[in-house]
Amino acid sequence: MAAVICGAGSWLPPRVVTNAELCGRLDTSDEWIFSRTGISARRVAGAGLLTSDLAVEAAARALKSAGGGEVQALVLATTTPDRPCPATAPTVAARLGLTGIAAFDVSAVCSGFLYGLGAGAGFIAAGLAERVLVVAAETFTALLDPDDRTTVPVFGDGAGAVVLRRGSAAEPGAVGRVLLGSDGGGSELITVEPGGSRQQTGYFRMRGREVFRHAVERMTAAARAAAAEAGWDLADVDRVVAHQANARITAAAARSLGIPLDRWAQNIGDVGNTAGASVPVLLAQAAESGFLAAGHRVLLTAFGGGLTWGAATVVWPELEPENGT
Amino acid sequence: MYEELKTLLVDDLRLDENALRPEAGREEAGLDSLAVVELSMLLSDRYQVQISDEDLLEAATVADIARLLEQQMKRQPN
Repeated sequence: MAAVICGAGSWLPPRVVTNAELCGRLDTSDEWIFSRTGISARRVAGAGLLTSDLAVEAAARALKSAGGGEVQALVLATTTPDRPCPATAPTVAARLGLTGIAAFDVSAVCSGFLYGLGAGAGFIAAGLAERVLVVAAETFTALLDPDDRTTVPVFGDGAGAVVLRRGSAAEPGAVGRVLLGSDGGGSELITVEPGGSRQQTGYFRMRGREVFRHAVERMTAAARAAAAEAGWDLADVDRVVAHQANARITAAAARSLGIPLDRWAQNIGDVGNTAGASVPVLLAQAAESGFLAAGHRVLLTAFGGGLTWGAATVVWPELEPENGT
Repeated sequence: MYEELKTLLVDDLRLDENALRPEAGREEAGLDSLAVVELSMLLSDRYQVQISDEDLLEAATVADIARLLEQQMKRQPN
């Protein structure tokens, strides 16, 4: 028995912010941003769109891709919920016409989707659901200090989702054992500062160099472990779908694993780092473009604040993703 | 050691060969703060040599980094 991916979708807010636009208000340049991150543009939700709005769009597309049908649980991975309380998942479920099902948020920053995938697969394994909607949605740009040239160019907003169903471990789409980990000793490397009397809202902060090293080391270690769990040699991996943190992190991870960079799906240049949403957005986009094809052995890996990390394998199934903007 | 380092910087880290001279400053050679982490990880993977980001950041020129690498490799048992 296994959780099998049977639908995928994504949605990006329509507003595109280019490097040129950022250069008008930050002390930076297109060359500086691109050479350090590989990013040329990102999508920004703006004040009119909440995380739940993005999540509903992506989830509806994933359900359509799965051919409709019931789900018994919705897991929403997000670090940018609409409000601190209550969770955003019940709102998303209700807006999808799924009032009554189990719905809850998972918070694991940029590893959020892998944690959501683990939770969704766990629901199926435990017999709590036959089908689960796993959504990851973020409006990270709302957390950024508008004057911080190290974070503003990096992050973008977006949402992605997959539908899981109960199936057999031998069939395409079956998700291998989801390996998850954390190290709270590194909790200060990626944080949102607490609010206070002199500061209504805390801003997101990241210690770049240390995060870079941890991201490469943790994502590659998790990827090696997930591949070993599936009985795959790294040389047999057809595609890697890794958290889009920074194009140079992806390149360093590819070097370390010895998996050629042309097997790595990438969309960071156009959408930036969409935090927990990056893996499912990339999955759905890469499946639509044909970069991911049925039968490909795909390795998923992510790293985020916490610190947290996760990885899993899947033989890509025949499906038609639904992407929108 | 300089030539070996240069090969690493050009072939693996994709730095501009024309900007690399022994006396070139770290930033001038294209070794920004992230490249320093990339180099440190690469040296560890490839040569099992541990040089911290901080030590690399203190090196003023590419030749200084080559010297640092040479010293560390001499300390290695193999």
